[in-house]
Amino acid sequence: MEVFIQQLTNGLAVGGIYALIALGYTMVYGVLKLINFAHGDLFTLGAYLGFTILVSFGLGGRIGVGPAVALGVMLVMGLSALAGHIMERAAYRPLRKSGRLSAVVSALGVSIFLQNAIMLVWGAKGLAYPADLLPRFVIPIAGQPVPLLRLVVFLTSILVMVGLYAFINRSRVGMAIRASAIDQGAAKLMGIDVRQVIALVFMIGPALGGLAGLMVGVSYGQITFFMGQLYGLKAFTAAIIGGIGNIPGAMIGGLLLGLVEAFGAAYVSVAWKDAITFFVLILILVVRPTGLLPERVAEKL
Amino acid sequence: MRITAVLGMILGLGLAVPQCFAADRAPVRIGVMAPVTGEWASEGQDMVNVVRLLAEELNKNGGAGGRLIEIEVGDDGGDPKTAALAAQRLVSAGVAAVIGTYGSAVTEASQDIYADDDVLQIGTGSTSIRLTEKGLPLFFRTCPRDDDQGRVMARHIKALGFKKAALVHDNSSYARGLAEEVRALFDDQSVAVVFYDAITPGDRDYSTTLTKIKTLNPDLIIFTGYYPEAAMLLRQKKEMAWEVPMIGGDATNNLALVDIAGRESAKGYYFISPPGPSDLTGEMSEAFMAEYQARFKTLPSSVWAVMAGDAFKVLALAIENVDQPTGANLARYLHNDLKDFVGFTGPIAFNEKGDREGDVYRLYQVDAEGRFVLIP
Repeated sequence: MEVFIQQLTNGLAVGGIYALIALGYTMVYGVLKLINFAHGDLFTLGAYLGFTILVSFGLGGRIGVGPAVALGVMLVMGLSALAGHIMERAAYRPLRKSGRLSAVVSALGVSIFLQNAIMLVWGAKGLAYPADLLPRFVIPIAGQPVPLLRLVVFLTSILVMVGLYAFINRSRVGMAIRASAIDQGAAKLMGIDVRQVIALVFMIGPALGGLAGLMVGVSYGQITFFMGQLYGLKAFTAAIIGGIGNIPGAMIGGLLLGLVEAFGAAYVSVAWKDAITFFVLILILVVRPTGLLPERVAEKL
Repeated sequence: MRITAVLGMILGLGLAVPQCFAADRAPVRIGVMAPVTGEWASEGQDMVNVVRLLAEELNKNGGAGGRLIEIEVGDDGGDPKTAALAAQRLVSAGVAAVIGTYGSAVTEASQDIYADDDVLQIGTGSTSIRLTEKGLPLFFRTCPRDDDQGRVMARHIKALGFKKAALVHDNSSYARGLAEEVRALFDDQSVAVVFYDAITPGDRDYSTTLTKIKTLNPDLIIFTGYYPEAAMLLRQKKEMAWEVPMIGGDATNNLALVDIAGRESAKGYYFISPPGPSDLTGEMSEAFMAEYQARFKTLPSSVWAVMAGDAFKVLALAIENVDQPTGANLARYLHNDLKDFVGFTGPIAFNEKGDREGDVYRLYQVDAEGRFVLIP
């Protein structure tokens, strides 16, 4: 039982991170049918921006830990969104009229550019968020000590995802996004500025990715300029498992992936963790080729 | 050049000053294959810095036996595939010898390429046993081997009184080799190995693994992989409020370990390693470390970069003492004639396999201030 509870919380925390990143893949795919391969690197960027804001500027020492984290989260999300916007303007918008393949190549280019830029700006040596950045608490759940931070990561990601879901389904802007996802031409005829919708999607996704990067930095400490590769791949997998283009699907896919990893490591073998994960991916795709929650034409996203 | 030679001959006639014609000898190109980028970039950049600094100094003083040394850097990215490309690039650049590299798997990917082209190679951080068991006549290393390390580690674990260990590696050829070595030494049940498995390097979350190990209740965790993962294990172990001691191998001898883990979590961590840069004794080492400090504002973060310096030193000596600096000639010198040479990390001589002779491993522990303290 001890193992079960611990691994459950481990899996949910990791899964929450995967889900947050997966949302970026899935939203962009939903609207543009483009796999944004640079998304994992925007996640890395978020982790590094967080490091600069929280650690290098020593924000916590100046305005207290609570406000520093709140401000840090907002700044990281804002700057990641800005980076995402610049990326869309520079690398994707000029290619809107050319084939989808060119956009994919452009995405790979942005990914390589971002990785190397991060390496050159912050250095090739990994950085480490200090362990005492946040006070560490352990709270008992069913008699088991669970680090509070792990729950905070999980709850934050759930909160953000629910917020996003409500935004997409309840607000007028959300309706515009959904309309653009279903049929861009018709959306234009209805007076929706599709270009702005796309720009918005490319800001929301990176903001969430940047937040995930910050949370990984704060909770696990070490950040490296290539960490986006592995997380990007896992999150992409999560988006596929959930049915790419579908927002609740990305959330479910992310959490499922985190749990499969944790329990695979716990009850089968640590070394086979990734093999098990991708075996599950294959299994799901064999049974449901479009993922768990395939995008339905009528209510895509 | 030719005019200088003629002048030299005329002027030096009867005087036979060796430097005069020595200045005419063609420069020798030496490759440094190092992970300048990638996960081990910190190691690789230090390696290049050390070798560049030494080469500059040597060239200022007239080179090795009158031959200037040109340094050519090949970035292996800490990755076997990239290493094969880097090796081919260095070979086509016409290097006579190559210093490097850090990871054993990476070195292994490049060995045959150098061997095929008569290029001498001196590994600097590659401790996997296999590398020198292949009978390659042009391969040497200034670092010790994993079986030395495994023996010393097992000896210390027994001496410290541990009885029940969890053994964790990361499936790299270095970490796996060391783990197998240590496990074999515990076959006599002097220490029970209750867990034996690998983690994935590059992951951020190891709490699943730690949680699993905790249920087996070992009194020691042995991790044979590299410092980024060791640091993450220490940090996450602390977060679980689990106080079990941990011991690691020489790949965790890097000051970044404490940065990543935090002092609190790193405190009490044991590792087996050759003496670190700040523990090197002897006039030459101290002088060089001071110069390095002055130039780069910090010491090399691990001893492996210093091993690259040792490799450069023995190479320079070999180049000075052979007629033609071909791989075979240099190797003959290193095998047969290199005796009683004292490098930065102690006496250096090579046995017939190309391994360094003598015992260099020590036991270290991290103290409350995050310093690496040599335990006698």
